[in-house]
Amino acid sequence: MSTIERVSQWSHRIFNTTANEQNVRRSSNPFAQSNFQKNILMEDVFESSDKKNVSFTGGITQGTKRIYSTFVGSINDFGKKFYEGIESIKEFGIRMKNGIVGAWNKVCEIGSTEIHPVEGLKNGYNAVKNVLATDMGKLFNTREKEVARLAKLDPHTEVKPMLSNAIKALEEELTVAA
Amino acid sequence: MNTTINKTTKTYNRVSDIIDSLTINPNPDAVAVLEEIGTNSSIDEVREMTARALVKRNEPNSLSVIISQRGKGINDMSTVVAMSTINCLLSLEDKEEAMKVLENTISGEGIEEDVRENARSVKALMALS
Repeated sequence: MSTIERVSQWSHRIFNTTANEQNVRRSSNPFAQSNFQKNILMEDVFESSDKKNVSFTGGITQGTKRIYSTFVGSINDFGKKFYEGIESIKEFGIRMKNGIVGAWNKVCEIGSTEIHPVEGLKNGYNAVKNVLATDMGKLFNTREKEVARLAKLDPHTEVKPMLSNAIKALEEELTVAA
Repeated sequence: MNTTINKTTKTYNRVSDIIDSLTINPNPDAVAVLEEIGTNSSIDEVREMTARALVKRNEPNSLSVIISQRGKGINDMSTVVAMSTINCLLSLEDKEEAMKVLENTISGEGIEEDVRENARSVKALMALS
């Protein structure tokens, strides 16, 4: 495994909060088995003083530059993800707010233009109740369809008996109701 | 009690639908059915609906029923039915046929004086509207 890959993996493990590591490598790092948000530092970050390829006083080798750039890149990436997370929370909040405001406006629109919130809610509730109590047939214009159907029938032979029977039934029902 | 009201409403709607269908039925026999069954009903609402249907047809024979015949349309014993018919006549877009029938009723022979008087009053109202 190249150094670049190892650094990339290491930075990934630090920022990956869902990891539940079991595998622990032996290393000279005294904090290797420390739990950092359930993430275990796997790599030996303590560089040996014998290694001379990284020197802060002297020049930085090409390989080290690549390692640092990979690490910094991963941190930048983390920052981006963090920012995206915040953005999504912000958007969620805006959506919630818009949803609540929309629902409130709808209730007021259905009910009345009352400013008083309790009255507005009451009116909204009553309006919704009335809509639900309405004959569903009206909503689908079944009566209009029925009228159109009856209008095609012959007045004398078909409609006349119907009208006569319907009026008789209505007379009887009104007599009973009285 | 609620069941009776619901049942009555359904039957009322049924009558209303049939009368509405006769309003738009292109067959001229529809007028005869409205005249025979609707205008002779003992229920004021049915007579009112029938009179309005005959006005809406806006045909000479349908208008003559509610203008020239005693006890029907503008001559109905019920004030509600008579006023409703007059109101419907006043709201007609094309009043030409109605005015002709009213004039024939006013000048016609063999027509009762109270029917003529009613026709005269309605004609005056229609001229003003």
